[in-house]
Amino acid sequence: MKKFYRLLRSYGVALLGCLFLSATLCVAEEAEGVKGMAEEEFTPTKEVLNVKFVEFDCPKDVTVCSLEKALKDAEGVQVKLQKQDKAFPNGGGSVNAAEVKAVHDGTAIYFQVSWDDATKNAQAIATQEFRDGVALMFPLGKVVVSTDEKFSPRMGDRQKPVNLWHWKADWEADMVASGGIEECPVRYPNMHDDFSTNPHSVNYHKGLMQSAAVLAGGVSAHNLLSMPNRGRTVEDLNAEGFGTLTSQDHQDVNACSKYENSKWTVIFYRLLNSNDPLDVQFVPGESTYFNMAVWNGDKEDRNGQKNISTQWHPLALERIAWQ
Amino acid sequence: MTLVHNWHLGRRMEYPYFESRPKHQFAAVFNINRCIACQTCTMACKSTWTFNKGQEFMWWNNVETKPYGGYPQSWDVKTLRLIDNPDNVWYTDDKDKEASPYGTGAPYGTYEGDTIFEAAKKKNINQWAVGYIPEDKEWRSPNFGEDTAKSSNQPGEYSTLPEHSRWFFYIQRICNHCTYPGCLAACPRKAIYKRKEDGIVLIDQKRCRGYRKCVEQCPYKKPMYRGLTRVSEKCIACYPRIEGRDPLTEGKPMETRCMSACVGQIRLQGFLDDNPKNPITWLVRHHKIALPLYPQFGTEPNIYYIPPRWAPRAYLRQMFGPGVDEAIEKFMVPSRELLAVMSLFRMAQTIIFEYKIEEGPKVYETTIHGKKFEMYNDTVIGFDADGKEVVRTTIEEPVHVRPDKHSNSI
Repeated sequence: MKKFYRLLRSYGVALLGCLFLSATLCVAEEAEGVKGMAEEEFTPTKEVLNVKFVEFDCPKDVTVCSLEKALKDAEGVQVKLQKQDKAFPNGGGSVNAAEVKAVHDGTAIYFQVSWDDATKNAQAIATQEFRDGVALMFPLGKVVVSTDEKFSPRMGDRQKPVNLWHWKADWEADMVASGGIEECPVRYPNMHDDFSTNPHSVNYHKGLMQSAAVLAGGVSAHNLLSMPNRGRTVEDLNAEGFGTLTSQDHQDVNACSKYENSKWTVIFYRLLNSNDPLDVQFVPGESTYFNMAVWNGDKEDRNGQKNISTQWHPLALERIAWQ
Repeated sequence: MTLVHNWHLGRRMEYPYFESRPKHQFAAVFNINRCIACQTCTMACKSTWTFNKGQEFMWWNNVETKPYGGYPQSWDVKTLRLIDNPDNVWYTDDKDKEASPYGTGAPYGTYEGDTIFEAAKKKNINQWAVGYIPEDKEWRSPNFGEDTAKSSNQPGEYSTLPEHSRWFFYIQRICNHCTYPGCLAACPRKAIYKRKEDGIVLIDQKRCRGYRKCVEQCPYKKPMYRGLTRVSEKCIACYPRIEGRDPLTEGKPMETRCMSACVGQIRLQGFLDDNPKNPITWLVRHHKIALPLYPQFGTEPNIYYIPPRWAPRAYLRQMFGPGVDEAIEKFMVPSRELLAVMSLFRMAQTIIFEYKIEEGPKVYETTIHGKKFEMYNDTVIGFDADGKEVVRTTIEEPVHVRPDKHSNSI
């Protein structure tokens, strides 16, 4: 509850502002930046992603390979993707489809997403380079999506928050980087580095080393993107419409990935119940919806420049066998 | 898009947000004629804000040589091409002769081309402004082209005033803290904001997600992506000093590091407001001797330049707009008031909000380019935010004669 209030408080200003300005600002903005949405976008797809209950011993080392067996018999759905064409900046269109499979073991849920990508972009250090990524999105709370109960499949809406899981290819590399985050010399091996981390180097300066975090704005502001040692490859976020994406204080999702034969396979996993009011909660026997987006770093995809599905996809969790 | 008034362009233009001017706007006047490109400003900034990991390529303040220099390389040529406006046409017949109130009017005439915002709309490119992301290699050589002259001279042929045929000049660049920032318009997360109290433009380091839309759509290329933290950073106008948090000025607004460090005394920083006795407002709005950099981009930049008197006018008009000829004319034969205000440059670190001139005797008289020039040894006094005197200086610099006992002491 405390967290919910904190979110409310941080959104408070924006919400108040929106109330006062909605008649003016929103008209000005939406008329240009956000184009109208078609009626069919508020209708979920007919195909349902059935999340089978599978009993298996969760491997100690969670990798795509070690989870292969668990996901072997999982049912999958093909998700059609297209360019994002409603909110500035528009873009995407290089990835047409992705396959989503899911299982749960009564404790955790596993989503496997795979899509074709001819180039692996697992670094975002150079100014002109962007990462590959994939995100799953779920409505918060129990909702019914229909043309009567409009719930935007694009980042949710005001009063209709969504929970997003965003996997980033470079976070995978950060997991194993020394120092907990890949630093610039990884991208530019021959660069002169004033900040040698080796205390025996002539370039080592204790004071400077200690100042590094203070003078890294993102680190000082606790921006998750800037933080070393995140311990995960997925960012747990919320949104209430375009431009409202906000990282959660409590991160609950993780993933493993594999890039092979020009194809990304990412397996997201999280406990069915995360005990966080800002997260989607999964109940066996119940159903909800999901939507997704894929970013192709090679095409400079980021933010709204992405490949999206324009409809919610129903998601039904199988009852646990002993229920 | 909404319609906002851009007084640099002398007209209304399209911008994604409503016009919302700060109470007073962070601004500065750089006198290009005086700069020697010693880069002391550059190092003052570097050693204060960007000496850290992942900022190796960042120079929030840089001094580049025109026409060939550029950091990042060719930033201005590339953006000028994007607004697709080779002729830079202005309608100057009805420009305002009188001083206009702050934020309105058409002091340089009316710009008839497209701004970066209008060009984006015309091209239907699904972003708020035209722009491009300079690659890492373009940021790598900040001194590229330094001291390289452009010349159409024959061997043995010399340049003469008023326009040198073999020429270069230095341009000192920091973030312009624009009234209509391209970076702010571009940010899909609204992580960039312009402070209501002083017009300083900042990137919220918590909200930024490193999308580099600001790097792309700032025409001056002053937001920079920090590969280490995966978010973008930019000049912060030394806001702790502006807020008077440096103990030296005892709570009074203080000029930025790059301004205070200026060896050539080319820089004066302050705020644009509606007080005609504010030195910045007077130089920019009333005397119109200091001009915006590439006003045609349409962001209403707030660093103003006194153009170099020796450079070809066509080049300068492209860079500073149609006000160039009038500004150079006034600079070459300075008025009594201009001499006084220019004497305030680098006399104090405390920001001067108002000046007063006490008249002194005539000390010199000559003719410059056929025009009569008279010099009076006036006293100019600068006052801080609270009206307290912080500077008192005369037009003639005081002369100190070293006593005999010190001669040859070196």
